[in-house]
Amino acid sequence: MKTKSRISELLTSNQAVIIMVLLVLSIAIGLRNNAFVSFSTVVILARAAILMLIFALCQMLVIISGGIDVSFPAIACAAMYLPVKMMLNYEIDNLWFPFGMAILIGAFFGLINAVLIASLRIPPLIATLGMNSLISGGLLAFFGSTELSRLPDRLNEMFRSYLFTYTASSGLTYSLTILFIIPVVLAIGLSIFLRYTTMGRGVYAIGGNRSAARIAGFRVIRIQYFVYIFVGAVVGIGAMVSCILNRAASPTNLMGSEMMIIAAVVVGGTRITGGHGSVSGTILGVTLIALIQNNLIMLGIPTHWQPFILGFLIVLGTAFTSLKAMASMKQAKV
Amino acid sequence: MENTNPFIRLTDVRKAFGGVRALKGVDLELRCGEIHCLAGENGCGKSTLIKVISGVYHPDRGTIEIEGAVVRNMKPIDAIRHGIQVIYQDFAVFPNMSVAENIGINRLLLEGEKLVNWKETRKRAIDAMAAIGANIDPDILLERLSVSNKQLVAICRALFNNARLIILDEPTTALTSREVDLLFNILRNLKDQGIAVMIVNHKMDEIFRIADRITILRNGEFISSGTRDEYNNARFSHDLTGRELMAVKYSPAPGDFPDETVFEVEKLTREGSFYDISFAVRRGDVFGITGLLGSGRGEIADAIFGLSPAESGTMHLNGELIDVQSIDDAMNQGIAYVPEDRLTQGLFLERSIQDNIMAASLPAYFSGLKLQTGKMNEDTDRWIRDIDIKTNSAEPPINTLSGGNQQKCVMAKWLNTKPKLLVLNGPTVGVDIGSKAEIHDLVRQLAAEGVGVIVISDDISELLENCNRIIVVHDGYIVGRVTNDVSETELLALLSRPGKESHENEVTD
Amino acid sequence: MRSVLKKSDSNVIALSFLIVVILIAMALFMPDRFYTMSNLRSIVFQFPEYGVLAFGVMACMISGGIDISLVGIANLSGVIAATIMLGMGKSNLSIVLGILAALATGLLAGLFNGSLIGFLRLPPMLVTLCGSQLYAGLALIITKGPALNDLPDNYKFIANGSIGQIPVVLFVFIAVLVFVYFVMNRTVFGRQVRFMGSNYEAARYSGINNLKTTLRCYAFSGLMGAISGILMSSHFNSAKSDYGTQYTLFSILIVVLGGVHPDGGRGRVAGVTLSIILLQFITQLFTFLRIDTNYRTSAYGFILISVLVITMISDKRRLRRMT
Repeated sequence: MKTKSRISELLTSNQAVIIMVLLVLSIAIGLRNNAFVSFSTVVILARAAILMLIFALCQMLVIISGGIDVSFPAIACAAMYLPVKMMLNYEIDNLWFPFGMAILIGAFFGLINAVLIASLRIPPLIATLGMNSLISGGLLAFFGSTELSRLPDRLNEMFRSYLFTYTASSGLTYSLTILFIIPVVLAIGLSIFLRYTTMGRGVYAIGGNRSAARIAGFRVIRIQYFVYIFVGAVVGIGAMVSCILNRAASPTNLMGSEMMIIAAVVVGGTRITGGHGSVSGTILGVTLIALIQNNLIMLGIPTHWQPFILGFLIVLGTAFTSLKAMASMKQAKV
Repeated sequence: MENTNPFIRLTDVRKAFGGVRALKGVDLELRCGEIHCLAGENGCGKSTLIKVISGVYHPDRGTIEIEGAVVRNMKPIDAIRHGIQVIYQDFAVFPNMSVAENIGINRLLLEGEKLVNWKETRKRAIDAMAAIGANIDPDILLERLSVSNKQLVAICRALFNNARLIILDEPTTALTSREVDLLFNILRNLKDQGIAVMIVNHKMDEIFRIADRITILRNGEFISSGTRDEYNNARFSHDLTGRELMAVKYSPAPGDFPDETVFEVEKLTREGSFYDISFAVRRGDVFGITGLLGSGRGEIADAIFGLSPAESGTMHLNGELIDVQSIDDAMNQGIAYVPEDRLTQGLFLERSIQDNIMAASLPAYFSGLKLQTGKMNEDTDRWIRDIDIKTNSAEPPINTLSGGNQQKCVMAKWLNTKPKLLVLNGPTVGVDIGSKAEIHDLVRQLAAEGVGVIVISDDISELLENCNRIIVVHDGYIVGRVTNDVSETELLALLSRPGKESHENEVTD
Repeated sequence: MRSVLKKSDSNVIALSFLIVVILIAMALFMPDRFYTMSNLRSIVFQFPEYGVLAFGVMACMISGGIDISLVGIANLSGVIAATIMLGMGKSNLSIVLGILAALATGLLAGLFNGSLIGFLRLPPMLVTLCGSQLYAGLALIITKGPALNDLPDNYKFIANGSIGQIPVVLFVFIAVLVFVYFVMNRTVFGRQVRFMGSNYEAARYSGINNLKTTLRCYAFSGLMGAISGILMSSHFNSAKSDYGTQYTLFSILIVVLGGVHPDGGRGRVAGVTLSIILLQFITQLFTFLRIDTNYRTSAYGFILISVLVITMISDKRRLRRMT
């Protein structure tokens, strides 16, 4: 009886539903396009999902803690543009500087977010919306919108460092960048942090019941500071990754990506109200959105339909997750 | 194994907030291995006192001794290290975490652990639950537990943290009678282990059942303290409220109304909440409904007001059959409902007194394509005057008023809809003594004017004083019908009569 | 007359004061540039399209929610109006039909938001965030990418024409303002929105139908989006799926600066209106000083955060005073 209900719970869990949807979608795409059913698809998808994964994992952490961060695209743009600009101006050419600077810049803006949200208790959505304009406007105002497309050599080299290269039977080669290690390390690190450290549990605790967390002895504000600063720093790393993968530093190209990221996180089973969410769910959510984004054309859907279809799927996904969350709260009490 | 070592002793503790003196010199001594009841009406300073003991507030004056040593500048974490554990009314648990984690998490923090050992946490949580005989699946999320099981989790957590003193704030308010029995057994068990237990409560019957010693506060002042045997109903009640028990009991003036029924329900049933409820409120009646928590008394009110409609049965108001499927239906029929939880269900705290009084009757002021604000001002002023709400104007936000005056505003909100039937659920919870009497007078006066009045309460003396007829519900069934000439003891005895059987007896009678 | 000088009006007083300060500063430092007919006219041509949007956000924020899909709704409405007008050969009838269709679109989109929020109890932030993508996506499907240009002359007249020296759009804005003021202050719905935003449960227990109120509130907001969409497309003589994206932040800034509390329940039409005017003056000041749009975006972000910081600190103070 007990195990039976556990199994049915497992089958209707978010993860299971996403896996099923992923399978159905893959089969549908595979039927239309045989080329899809190959290892190269995995490589393409993995490459496409790198950035999304980094940002989504960050967003997940913030949402679990009971907040939300829509300022990360602007933070990322600053953390990408400024270091590269400095490298070009002062002819610095190594890998430590850009990544170090990006982390510092990201952490700095994360700190400001933390002050606004944790100390001054401004609603996170509005606070980070304000920060987003503040940073992106400032960046464009001071540096203009020119893309820096001649990257320092070390960054370009990085672009050509591959984890492995797969040669398909057609003779085409598919390479996976070494940067893929970053989201992998982040995912593993975050899972361990969230599951096995007292502070990680604190993130869930403040998202679940802030006042109970304080009574229990969690340092609520300190945890929030940690979350926003850490996320800022990781977004900085993500920004540098984006710069290398796109072989350019642009003060605008990540703008507007917040929608997709939040959607991936929520579809992955993270409750927007805080306290619930898992790394595995978020990875699945990102995979789903990346798969759809990359294959709508293969399914014969015209480009100008894509935003709508994506928006629609996101509404469905979020509605599904929220309804499930509500149902579980209303479930018979034991 | 009677143990008389005091665990904590407070002497002449004073605490003021701004100009308000919440504690005016309180003495309290809690001994190891005793169950101590801190009694007092709402607003007497109980919660401030708890916060002083748990280190949340620092007293302005007075001393705190723990096990003979004076403690100064105690912070919450120090209190926890001394073994002081408070179980708040909302239990301060995490709905999004497993039962095991809820039990284990504080200990981790207390010991400054950086890592979580899940296997160990789970095992120790199971042990902690076994120690008090709780049997809850350690792996399910806490949000799926019933109130009583959440409370057990909170108690397990306190024990798990090496509690020497456990303070429970109003632990029985949300429990059914069976759950209260279970809780009391657990508390006696704790006492036998030498743990000091303090319960904050104001229900006399429960206090006499469980307490070894009693301390009574009123308006922030220390009134009396002693063993249970030193108190009887009269003294307890006197110390608690500051007045003699029993004012004049209500009875409708004879001959005012012919034997006319205002409101009648027949065989009202809602699966899982209440069954076969039939009663009639006559004109002039203040009709009381009582029962323990979970007995279905509140659910009956919810059904009458359309919050969660009955599934079968009929209701007649002034002789007409009415169908109430929603709040809108109920209001259209002239039914008004003063809810139990004033703060979350009754008031718009930041809004003005006027807004609060007008909230339920807005459509009535909409004419000529706009709200008639002049009329709204007039009516508000009239209510403030008529039921004596103590304020200079209708403008200030309602959270500047005292609990009693707030409750009067909630009543005014409903009286302003000109109800034919007024249902009051716990009308004087958290209301000071003076306003309490005024609210009672108002209720009687309304009944005398011919409005049907139903009062739902678990305050036995309030019911006997103000209602001329009372029904008792248990397990969703009516188990007794009395008039107000029964004694409190008789009425109390009815409360725990088995529901279904008594009901069937009643029907066959 | 007791409503004239309420304590809660301190915000209105502060905003009026700031406006007067700017007006005096203008008179002192650049009278010949500010107080000219052409400048005053250019001010009036600009603010209505986002001012109307701000009223929508205001209603939702007072109700305890937020609406960040309004720019999406505005563009979708504009695109639909444009499609109809262009498809029907720019006749006057097509203009009327186009406008009606735009308004209906706004209402429907708002109702869609409202039903997800009301029936399914999804968080407004999430619903309208998704909504913005959805409505912009729909607009994109209709336009297939490029803007729909060259709208009928009579339609352009709405946001570009003048009667004498006075821009027509000012009349439109005043009409909307009167309507909004009336709805928010003189109807049952307006009060119920405040009650719901102030305490959702107590509203239910006071017989207020929260579901109905939520639906109406977002429909009202959607309607504002549609009006703004009509004004924008008329002003630009063009409709597209991604015009005016900066207005999302701008409208929230206006509303917060106008004294609407982000937690819901509190906020006044007068405050928001003054805030619209104040921000337009600031924008105009930026134009005079030749400040680049990006600096402006940044400045608006900064103002938004500062206002919130001040709101929250004064909230804390008041709370401390009370306990």
